[in-house]
Amino acid sequence: MWPVVKSVLAALLGVQNDRQRQHDFSTGKPAVFIIVAVLVTLIFVLLLAGIAIFAAG
Amino acid sequence: MRLPWRWLLSVTSAATLSQAHASSWNMPVGVTDISRDIFGLHMTIFWVCVVIGVIVFGVMFYSLFRYRHSKGAKAAQFHEHTSVEVLWTAIPILILVGMAVPATATLKNMYDTSEADLDIMITGQQWRWRYEYLGEDVAFTSNLSTSREQIRGEAERGEHYLLDVDEPLVLPINRKVRFLMTSDDVIHSWWVPELAVKQDTIPGFINENWVQINEPGIYRGQCAELCGVNHGFMPIVVHAMEEADYEIWLAERKEAAEQEAMGVDREWALEELMARGETVYQSICSSCHQSEGQGAMPAFPALAGNEQLIDDLDWHLDRIINGVSGAAMPAFRSTLNPVEIASVVTYTRNAWGNDTGDVVQPAAVAELITQ
Repeated sequence: MWPVVKSVLAALLGVQNDRQRQHDFSTGKPAVFIIVAVLVTLIFVLLLAGIAIFAAG
Repeated sequence: MRLPWRWLLSVTSAATLSQAHASSWNMPVGVTDISRDIFGLHMTIFWVCVVIGVIVFGVMFYSLFRYRHSKGAKAAQFHEHTSVEVLWTAIPILILVGMAVPATATLKNMYDTSEADLDIMITGQQWRWRYEYLGEDVAFTSNLSTSREQIRGEAERGEHYLLDVDEPLVLPINRKVRFLMTSDDVIHSWWVPELAVKQDTIPGFINENWVQINEPGIYRGQCAELCGVNHGFMPIVVHAMEEADYEIWLAERKEAAEQEAMGVDREWALEELMARGETVYQSICSSCHQSEGQGAMPAFPALAGNEQLIDDLDWHLDRIINGVSGAAMPAFRSTLNPVEIASVVTYTRNAWGNDTGDVVQPAAVAELITQ
């Protein structure tokens, strides 16, 4: 699972090396990437909301 | 709570406050805590951009010169470098988040209109502002007072050309004042840079904003939303005064309003109505119908020699009180009081050769308004 999370985080940042990309496309299942990506995006949004709430005191 | 990031704002603000006061190029520091916070943010972000610009362009120009073709430099050929790519993606993210934290806090503070000491309804109208001190029974319209001669270039322009009004908005310092802002016709925008307030006034909506002014003074602004032919002729003047002076002013306004209300029931002479009517006409009506009632066709018909106006008093009164649907003529039933309506109707029926001899009494107008 950790390699999938790493790939999703790399996609979120927009940086991925070519070797890992080839590996993901040859061995991974799309559904797993999609589910992990949705969860990571949700966590990211909650993180942003938390920062905004903290900053606003 | 005093947040750590405020330290950064304070340092950058203090470093640039003196220059900003002297500079006409920068935005004003303003006279409220919010305006100072905004200025601090502006300068903080400005210096962040300067540092980034110096580093990026410094590296670029150094590389262009140091590794130039004439010295035999050859371009590196590589496809990717993950560490460098992560670095130049992560650093801007951290910078942006770092700027967003204080900006979010300031925005939250700007929108906190709770616990106000005073509520003022601001209504935009083509082309003037109306101010109502809610709960105080004080309301008035603020009109451009720059003379037509100055606008037409027939007189020398004054120091505050197009930025003078007949009735400024008077506010006390050190009190939180909440503005409830709307419009009677089209979208306007109430903008006073020194107060860091720029708020759209939209028909059918009530927007909120607030100020707490720290220093007495005169602060000027303008409508900031293109709202028609006289958009440039509806300035804003805020007179911020000490709290004790404000209380005296408020008491005087209340007394004047009471006297005006009492004046509705008495019989007015033609001369009184003509004198008052001329004042009302020149401040309210002349921007459209022109100072001598000659009009500006096709939008604004002439009143001098207007046969329908001369022949039909009821039609004339209806136009003033209820306005004209679908045209530029607004309804004045809520913005002018019966004395003002009676006097301006009497004036326009007897000025510029109209000479109808009609005298419209405020009591009759008051009855029409309540129907």
